[in-house]
Amino acid sequence: MDAEAAKLLGAGLSMGLGAVGPGVGLGILIGKALEGIARQPEVSGDIRTNMFIGIGVTEAVALYAFVVALILIFVA
Amino acid sequence: MEPARSQHEQELQRLTAGEDEVVAAIAQRRKLAGLPMWLWGVIVLFVLVGLFFIPGGAKQELEIAAEFDLEPLVELPTIGPFDLSITKAVVYLWIATAVIVVVAIVIARNIKPHPSRFQYAMEALYELAYDGITASVMKSGVSTWFPYVGAAFFFILVNNLVGLIPLPFGEHHQLSFYAATANLNVTITLALFTFLFTHYAGMKKNGPVTYIRNWMPKGAPPVLREFIFVIHIVSEVFRLISLSVRLFANMVAGHAILAVFFAMALIFQSYLAAVVLQGGSVLIYMFEIFVAVIQAFIFAILSAVYLGGALDQEH
Repeated sequence: MDAEAAKLLGAGLSMGLGAVGPGVGLGILIGKALEGIARQPEVSGDIRTNMFIGIGVTEAVALYAFVVALILIFVA
Repeated sequence: MEPARSQHEQELQRLTAGEDEVVAAIAQRRKLAGLPMWLWGVIVLFVLVGLFFIPGGAKQELEIAAEFDLEPLVELPTIGPFDLSITKAVVYLWIATAVIVVVAIVIARNIKPHPSRFQYAMEALYELAYDGITASVMKSGVSTWFPYVGAAFFFILVNNLVGLIPLPFGEHHQLSFYAATANLNVTITLALFTFLFTHYAGMKKNGPVTYIRNWMPKGAPPVLREFIFVIHIVSEVFRLISLSVRLFANMVAGHAILAVFFAMALIFQSYLAAVVLQGGSVLIYMFEIFVAVIQAFIFAILSAVYLGGALDQEH
Protein backbone atom coordinates (compact mmCIF):
# COMPACT_ATOMS: atom_id res chain seq x y z
CA MET A 1 0.00 0.00 0.00
CA ASP A 2 1.52 3.31 -0.99
CA ALA A 3 1.48 6.37 1.22
CA GLU A 4 -1.31 8.14 -0.65
CA ALA A 5 -3.68 5.20 -0.30
CA ALA A 6 -2.88 4.86 3.39
CA LYS A 7 -3.62 8.56 3.87
CA LEU A 8 -7.04 8.33 2.21
CA LEU A 9 -7.86 5.12 4.06
CA GLY A 10 -6.87 6.73 7.35
CA ALA A 11 -8.98 9.80 6.61
CA GLY A 12 -12.04 7.72 5.83
CA LEU A 13 -11.54 5.52 8.89
CA SER A 14 -10.99 8.50 11.19
CA MET A 15 -14.23 10.16 10.07
CA GLY A 16 -16.26 6.97 10.12
CA LEU A 17 -15.05 5.63 13.45
CA GLY A 18 -14.95 9.11 14.95
CA ALA A 19 -18.62 9.62 14.16
CA VAL A 20 -19.75 6.47 16.03
CA GLY A 21 -19.20 7.73 19.57
CA PRO A 22 -20.71 11.20 19.16
CA GLY A 23 -23.63 9.66 17.28
CA VAL A 24 -24.46 7.36 20.19
CA GLY A 25 -23.81 10.21 22.62
CA LEU A 26 -26.10 12.63 20.82
CA GLY A 27 -28.82 10.00 20.68
CA ILE A 28 -28.64 9.40 24.43
CA LEU A 29 -28.39 13.12 25.16
CA ILE A 30 -31.37 14.23 23.09
CA GLY A 31 -33.41 11.21 24.14
CA LYS A 32 -32.88 12.00 27.81
CA ALA A 33 -33.65 15.67 27.21
CA LEU A 34 -36.93 14.79 25.49
CA GLU A 35 -37.74 12.41 28.34
CA GLY A 36 -37.18 15.24 30.78
CA ILE A 37 -39.35 17.61 28.76
CA ALA A 38 -42.11 15.01 28.56
CA ARG A 39 -42.01 14.52 32.34
CA GLN A 40 -41.80 18.22 33.17
CA PRO A 41 -42.97 20.41 30.31
CA GLU A 42 -42.80 23.50 32.53
CA VAL A 43 -38.96 23.47 32.59
CA SER A 44 -38.62 22.70 28.87
CA GLY A 45 -36.83 26.01 28.26
CA ASP A 46 -34.01 25.25 30.70
CA ILE A 47 -33.70 21.68 29.48
CA ARG A 48 -33.52 22.81 25.87
CA THR A 49 -30.79 25.36 26.62
CA ASN A 50 -28.68 22.82 28.47
CA MET A 51 -29.36 20.26 25.75
CA PHE A 52 -27.89 22.61 23.16
CA ILE A 53 -24.80 23.17 25.29
CA GLY A 54 -24.42 19.41 25.54
CA ILE A 55 -24.96 18.98 21.82
CA GLY A 56 -22.24 21.53 21.12
CA VAL A 57 -19.75 19.78 23.39
CA THR A 58 -20.58 16.27 22.16
CA GLU A 59 -20.62 17.19 18.51
CA ALA A 60 -17.16 18.75 18.80
CA VAL A 61 -15.74 15.22 19.19
CA ALA A 62 -17.01 14.23 15.76
CA LEU A 63 -15.63 17.45 14.33
CA TYR A 64 -12.18 16.70 15.73
CA ALA A 65 -12.33 13.50 13.69
CA PHE A 66 -13.38 15.56 10.68
CA VAL A 67 -10.46 17.92 11.14
CA VAL A 68 -8.06 14.97 11.51
CA ALA A 69 -9.44 13.58 8.24
CA LEU A 70 -8.89 16.95 6.53
CA ILE A 71 -5.34 17.15 7.89
CA LEU A 72 -4.63 13.61 6.67
CA ILE A 73 -5.85 14.41 3.16
CA PHE A 74 -4.51 17.92 2.62
CA VAL A 75 -1.61 18.46 5.02
CA ALA A 76 0.03 15.17 6.03
CA MET B 1 -93.33 3.53 19.41
CA GLU B 2 -93.95 4.52 15.79
CA PRO B 3 -93.14 8.25 16.03
CA ALA B 4 -90.12 7.57 18.20
CA ARG B 5 -88.71 5.19 15.65
CA SER B 6 -89.20 7.56 12.75
CA GLN B 7 -87.51 10.24 14.83
CA HIS B 8 -84.58 7.90 15.31
CA GLU B 9 -84.39 7.25 11.59
CA GLN B 10 -84.56 10.93 10.88
CA GLU B 11 -81.68 11.48 13.27
CA LEU B 12 -79.68 8.75 11.57
CA GLN B 13 -80.42 10.21 8.16
CA ARG B 14 -79.36 13.64 9.33
CA LEU B 15 -76.10 12.30 10.72
CA THR B 16 -75.20 10.32 7.60
CA ALA B 17 -76.31 13.04 5.18
CA GLY B 18 -72.79 14.42 4.78
CA GLU B 19 -71.22 11.00 4.33
CA ASP B 20 -71.49 10.84 0.57
CA GLU B 21 -69.77 14.20 0.25
CA VAL B 22 -66.97 13.08 2.54
CA VAL B 23 -66.44 9.88 0.53
CA ALA B 24 -66.42 11.92 -2.67
CA ALA B 25 -63.96 14.39 -1.16
CA ILE B 26 -61.61 11.57 -0.14
CA ALA B 27 -61.85 10.06 -3.61
CA GLN B 28 -61.15 13.51 -5.06
CA ARG B 29 -58.15 13.96 -2.83
CA ARG B 30 -56.65 10.74 -4.10
CA LYS B 31 -56.69 12.25 -7.59
CA LEU B 32 -54.41 14.96 -8.90
CA ALA B 33 -55.43 16.84 -12.05
CA GLY B 34 -58.04 14.19 -12.85
CA LEU B 35 -55.68 11.20 -12.68
CA PRO B 36 -55.49 8.84 -9.69
CA MET B 37 -52.40 9.08 -7.55
CA TRP B 38 -50.95 5.65 -8.37
CA LEU B 39 -50.97 6.54 -12.07
CA TRP B 40 -48.89 9.62 -11.27
CA GLY B 41 -46.47 7.39 -9.38
CA VAL B 42 -46.10 5.10 -12.40
CA ILE B 43 -45.52 8.11 -14.69
CA VAL B 44 -42.81 9.49 -12.38
CA LEU B 45 -41.18 6.06 -12.23
CA PHE B 46 -41.15 5.81 -16.04
CA VAL B 47 -39.63 9.27 -16.34
CA LEU B 48 -36.89 8.37 -13.85
CA VAL B 49 -36.14 5.07 -15.64
CA GLY B 50 -36.08 6.98 -18.92
CA LEU B 51 -33.63 9.48 -17.49
CA PHE B 52 -31.40 6.58 -16.49
CA PHE B 53 -30.90 5.66 -20.15
CA ILE B 54 -30.13 9.17 -21.38
CA PRO B 55 -26.35 9.55 -21.50
CA GLY B 56 -24.99 12.30 -19.29
CA GLY B 57 -22.96 15.31 -20.39
CA ALA B 58 -19.21 15.76 -20.46
CA LYS B 59 -17.30 14.43 -17.47
CA GLN B 60 -16.02 17.20 -15.28
CA GLU B 61 -13.32 17.05 -12.66
CA LEU B 62 -14.47 18.26 -9.29
CA GLU B 63 -12.16 19.83 -6.74
CA ILE B 64 -14.11 20.45 -3.58
CA ALA B 65 -11.01 21.76 -1.85
CA ALA B 66 -10.83 24.51 -4.50
CA GLU B 67 -14.05 25.94 -3.06
CA PHE B 68 -12.11 26.88 0.06
CA ASP B 69 -9.01 28.28 -1.67
CA LEU B 70 -8.36 31.90 -0.85
CA GLU B 71 -7.01 33.70 -3.87
CA PRO B 72 -6.51 37.42 -3.31
CA LEU B 73 -9.08 39.54 -5.11
CA VAL B 74 -7.06 42.69 -4.52
CA GLU B 75 -3.31 42.33 -4.01
CA LEU B 76 -1.98 44.39 -1.12
CA PRO B 77 1.51 44.42 0.42
CA THR B 78 2.48 42.14 3.27
CA ILE B 79 3.38 43.91 6.50
CA GLY B 80 5.42 41.70 8.81
CA PRO B 81 3.59 38.36 9.17
CA PHE B 82 0.29 39.86 8.01
CA ASP B 83 -0.79 39.49 4.40
CA LEU B 84 -3.19 42.38 3.86
CA SER B 85 -4.56 41.16 0.52
CA ILE B 86 -8.32 41.21 0.22
CA THR B 87 -9.58 37.65 -0.19
CA LYS B 88 -13.14 36.45 -0.42
CA ALA B 89 -13.18 35.75 3.32
CA VAL B 90 -12.54 39.46 3.92
CA VAL B 91 -15.32 40.40 1.50
CA TYR B 92 -17.72 38.04 3.25
CA LEU B 93 -16.85 39.60 6.60
CA TRP B 94 -17.51 43.06 5.16
CA ILE B 95 -20.86 41.94 3.77
CA ALA B 96 -21.91 40.45 7.11
CA THR B 97 -20.81 43.58 8.97
CA ALA B 98 -22.69 45.80 6.52
CA VAL B 99 -25.86 43.70 6.89
CA ILE B 100 -25.69 43.89 10.69
CA VAL B 101 -24.99 47.64 10.74
CA VAL B 102 -27.74 48.49 8.25
CA VAL B 103 -30.34 46.31 9.98
CA ALA B 104 -29.40 47.66 13.41
CA ILE B 105 -29.61 51.29 12.25
CA VAL B 106 -32.90 50.76 10.44
CA ILE B 107 -34.41 49.03 13.47
CA ALA B 108 -33.09 51.57 15.97
CA ARG B 109 -34.41 54.52 13.93
CA ASN B 110 -37.97 53.23 13.57
CA ILE B 111 -38.90 51.69 16.90
CA LYS B 112 -42.66 51.85 17.25
CA PRO B 113 -44.92 50.93 20.16
CA HIS B 114 -46.94 48.78 17.75
CA PRO B 115 -44.16 46.76 16.14
CA SER B 116 -44.16 45.92 12.48
CA ARG B 117 -43.45 42.32 11.51
CA PHE B 118 -39.78 43.01 10.90
CA GLN B 119 -39.37 44.81 14.21
CA TYR B 120 -41.20 41.97 15.95
CA ALA B 121 -38.82 39.39 14.44
CA MET B 122 -35.78 41.42 15.48
CA GLU B 123 -37.18 41.88 18.98
CA ALA B 124 -37.65 38.12 19.24
CA LEU B 125 -34.01 37.58 18.19
CA TYR B 126 -32.81 40.19 20.68
CA GLU B 127 -34.83 38.54 23.41
CA LEU B 128 -33.33 35.17 22.47
CA ALA B 129 -29.84 36.67 22.73
CA TYR B 130 -30.56 38.43 26.03
CA ASP B 131 -32.86 36.12 27.98
CA GLY B 132 -32.32 32.83 26.19
CA ILE B 133 -28.54 32.94 25.92
CA THR B 134 -26.96 35.43 28.31
CA ALA B 135 -29.33 35.71 31.25
CA SER B 136 -30.16 32.01 31.33
CA VAL B 137 -26.58 30.87 32.05
CA MET B 138 -24.89 33.86 33.74
CA LYS B 139 -25.58 34.54 37.41
CA SER B 140 -24.05 38.02 37.51
CA GLY B 141 -22.69 40.55 35.04
CA VAL B 142 -25.43 39.93 32.47
CA SER B 143 -25.78 43.54 31.44
CA THR B 144 -21.99 44.02 31.39
CA TRP B 145 -21.27 41.08 29.13
CA PHE B 146 -24.43 40.93 27.02
CA PRO B 147 -22.92 43.33 24.43
CA TYR B 148 -20.11 40.86 23.73
CA VAL B 149 -22.23 37.70 23.77
CA GLY B 150 -25.00 39.28 21.72
CA ALA B 151 -22.55 40.72 19.22
CA ALA B 152 -20.87 37.33 18.82
CA PHE B 153 -24.26 35.68 18.32
CA PHE B 154 -25.46 38.11 15.66
CA PHE B 155 -22.09 38.32 13.92
CA ILE B 156 -21.76 34.54 13.59
CA LEU B 157 -25.42 34.12 12.70
CA VAL B 158 -25.26 36.65 9.86
CA ASN B 159 -21.91 35.32 8.68
CA ASN B 160 -23.26 31.76 8.52
CA LEU B 161 -26.42 32.83 6.72
CA VAL B 162 -24.57 35.04 4.23
CA GLY B 163 -22.42 31.99 3.51
CA LEU B 164 -25.50 30.16 2.19
CA ILE B 165 -26.07 32.73 -0.55
CA PRO B 166 -24.03 32.12 -3.71
CA LEU B 167 -21.94 35.22 -4.45
CA PRO B 168 -19.64 35.89 -7.42
CA PHE B 169 -16.28 35.44 -5.68
CA GLY B 170 -15.34 32.04 -7.08
CA GLU B 171 -12.83 31.28 -9.82
CA HIS B 172 -13.25 33.79 -12.67
CA HIS B 173 -16.04 35.45 -10.67
CA GLN B 174 -18.31 32.42 -10.84
CA LEU B 175 -21.05 32.12 -8.27
CA SER B 176 -19.80 30.04 -5.37
CA PHE B 177 -20.54 29.23 -1.77
CA TYR B 178 -18.21 30.36 0.93
CA ALA B 179 -18.60 31.52 4.48
CA ALA B 180 -16.16 33.62 6.45
CA THR B 181 -16.73 31.26 9.38
CA ALA B 182 -15.48 28.37 7.19
CA ASN B 183 -12.03 29.90 7.68
CA LEU B 184 -10.05 28.82 10.71
CA ASN B 185 -8.45 32.27 11.13
CA VAL B 186 -11.84 33.91 11.61
CA THR B 187 -13.13 31.36 14.10
CA ILE B 188 -9.88 31.37 16.09
CA THR B 189 -10.09 35.15 16.34
CA LEU B 190 -13.64 34.89 17.64
CA ALA B 191 -12.65 32.18 20.11
CA LEU B 192 -9.67 34.28 21.26
CA PHE B 193 -12.05 37.12 22.07
CA THR B 194 -14.05 34.79 24.31
CA PHE B 195 -10.84 33.41 25.85
CA LEU B 196 -9.42 36.85 26.63
CA PHE B 197 -12.69 38.33 27.86
CA THR B 198 -13.29 35.30 30.10
CA HIS B 199 -10.00 35.73 31.95
CA TYR B 200 -10.23 39.52 31.93
CA ALA B 201 -13.69 39.35 33.50
CA GLY B 202 -12.60 36.80 36.08
CA MET B 203 -9.47 38.73 37.06
CA LYS B 204 -11.30 42.03 37.22
CA LYS B 205 -14.01 40.72 39.48
CA ASN B 206 -12.04 38.37 41.77
CA GLY B 207 -8.57 39.90 41.53
CA PRO B 208 -5.85 38.14 39.47
CA VAL B 209 -4.33 36.13 42.34
CA THR B 210 -7.62 34.95 43.79
CA TYR B 211 -8.89 34.13 40.33
CA ILE B 212 -6.00 31.81 39.53
CA ARG B 213 -5.85 30.38 43.06
CA ASN B 214 -9.51 29.41 42.74
CA TRP B 215 -8.53 27.01 39.95
CA MET B 216 -7.19 24.78 42.72
CA PRO B 217 -9.94 23.24 44.84
CA LYS B 218 -9.41 24.21 48.51
CA GLY B 219 -10.31 20.92 50.12
CA ALA B 220 -8.10 18.67 47.98
CA PRO B 221 -4.82 17.16 49.30
CA PRO B 222 -1.55 18.90 48.24
CA VAL B 223 -0.36 16.88 45.23
CA LEU B 224 -3.82 16.37 43.83
CA ARG B 225 -4.38 20.13 44.00
CA GLU B 226 -1.51 20.94 41.65
CA PHE B 227 -2.57 18.11 39.36
CA ILE B 228 -6.10 19.54 39.11
CA PHE B 229 -4.57 22.99 38.50
CA VAL B 230 -2.68 21.64 35.47
CA ILE B 231 -5.77 19.84 34.19
CA HIS B 232 -7.68 23.08 34.50
CA ILE B 233 -5.11 24.97 32.41
CA VAL B 234 -5.23 22.24 29.75
CA SER B 235 -9.02 22.44 29.67
CA GLU B 236 -8.85 26.22 29.28
CA VAL B 237 -6.66 25.79 26.20
CA PHE B 238 -8.93 23.08 24.84
CA ARG B 239 -11.92 25.38 25.22
CA LEU B 240 -10.17 27.75 22.84
CA ILE B 241 -9.53 24.93 20.36
CA SER B 242 -12.97 23.35 20.59
CA LEU B 243 -14.78 26.68 20.34
CA SER B 244 -12.98 27.62 17.12
CA VAL B 245 -12.76 24.19 15.53
CA ARG B 246 -16.43 23.42 16.16
CA LEU B 247 -17.65 26.43 14.21
CA PHE B 248 -15.01 26.03 11.50
CA ALA B 249 -15.58 22.31 10.97
CA ASN B 250 -19.36 22.67 10.95
CA MET B 251 -19.29 25.30 8.25
CA VAL B 252 -16.64 23.51 6.16
CA ALA B 253 -18.47 20.18 6.41
CA GLY B 254 -21.78 21.80 5.49
CA HIS B 255 -20.37 23.61 2.49
CA ALA B 256 -18.44 20.53 1.34
CA ILE B 257 -21.59 18.39 1.50
CA LEU B 258 -23.54 21.04 -0.43
CA ALA B 259 -20.80 21.18 -3.07
CA VAL B 260 -20.76 17.38 -3.38
CA PHE B 261 -24.53 17.25 -3.78
CA PHE B 262 -24.53 20.00 -6.38
CA ALA B 263 -21.73 18.33 -8.32
CA MET B 264 -22.89 14.72 -7.99
CA ALA B 265 -24.59 14.80 -11.40
CA LEU B 266 -21.28 15.76 -13.01
CA ILE B 267 -19.47 12.98 -11.18
CA PHE B 268 -21.97 10.25 -12.08
CA GLN B 269 -22.80 11.71 -15.52
CA SER B 270 -26.41 10.74 -15.21
CA TYR B 271 -29.63 12.72 -15.42
CA LEU B 272 -31.27 10.33 -12.96
CA ALA B 273 -28.68 11.15 -10.31
CA ALA B 274 -29.13 14.83 -11.14
CA VAL B 275 -32.88 14.78 -10.54
CA VAL B 276 -32.69 12.75 -7.34
CA LEU B 277 -29.69 14.53 -5.86
CA GLN B 278 -30.87 18.04 -6.64
CA GLY B 279 -33.92 17.22 -4.53
CA GLY B 280 -31.56 15.96 -1.84
CA SER B 281 -29.49 19.12 -2.02
CA VAL B 282 -32.57 21.17 -1.18
CA LEU B 283 -33.00 19.13 2.00
CA ILE B 284 -29.29 19.52 2.85
CA TYR B 285 -29.60 23.25 2.24
CA MET B 286 -32.49 23.52 4.69
CA PHE B 287 -30.48 21.53 7.23
CA GLU B 288 -27.58 23.93 6.71
CA ILE B 289 -29.82 26.89 7.58
CA PHE B 290 -30.67 25.06 10.82
CA VAL B 291 -26.97 24.39 11.46
CA ALA B 292 -26.09 28.05 10.81
CA VAL B 293 -28.52 29.17 13.52
CA ILE B 294 -27.56 26.40 15.96
CA GLN B 295 -23.83 27.05 15.64
CA ALA B 296 -24.25 30.77 16.34
CA PHE B 297 -26.41 29.84 19.33
CA ILE B 298 -23.89 27.31 20.65
CA PHE B 299 -20.93 29.67 20.25
CA ALA B 300 -22.76 32.46 22.08
CA ILE B 301 -24.10 30.26 24.86
CA LEU B 302 -20.72 28.59 25.47
CA SER B 303 -19.11 32.04 25.62
CA ALA B 304 -21.71 33.03 28.19
CA VAL B 305 -21.12 29.81 30.15
CA TYR B 306 -17.35 30.42 30.24
CA LEU B 307 -17.82 34.07 31.22
CA GLY B 308 -20.30 33.10 33.93
CA GLY B 309 -17.89 30.44 35.21
CA ALA B 310 -15.06 32.99 35.47
CA LEU B 311 -17.23 35.59 37.19
CA ASP B 312 -18.79 33.30 39.78
CA GLN B 313 -16.07 30.79 40.54
CA GLU B 314 -16.69 27.64 42.49
CA HIS B 315 -14.62 27.55 45.63
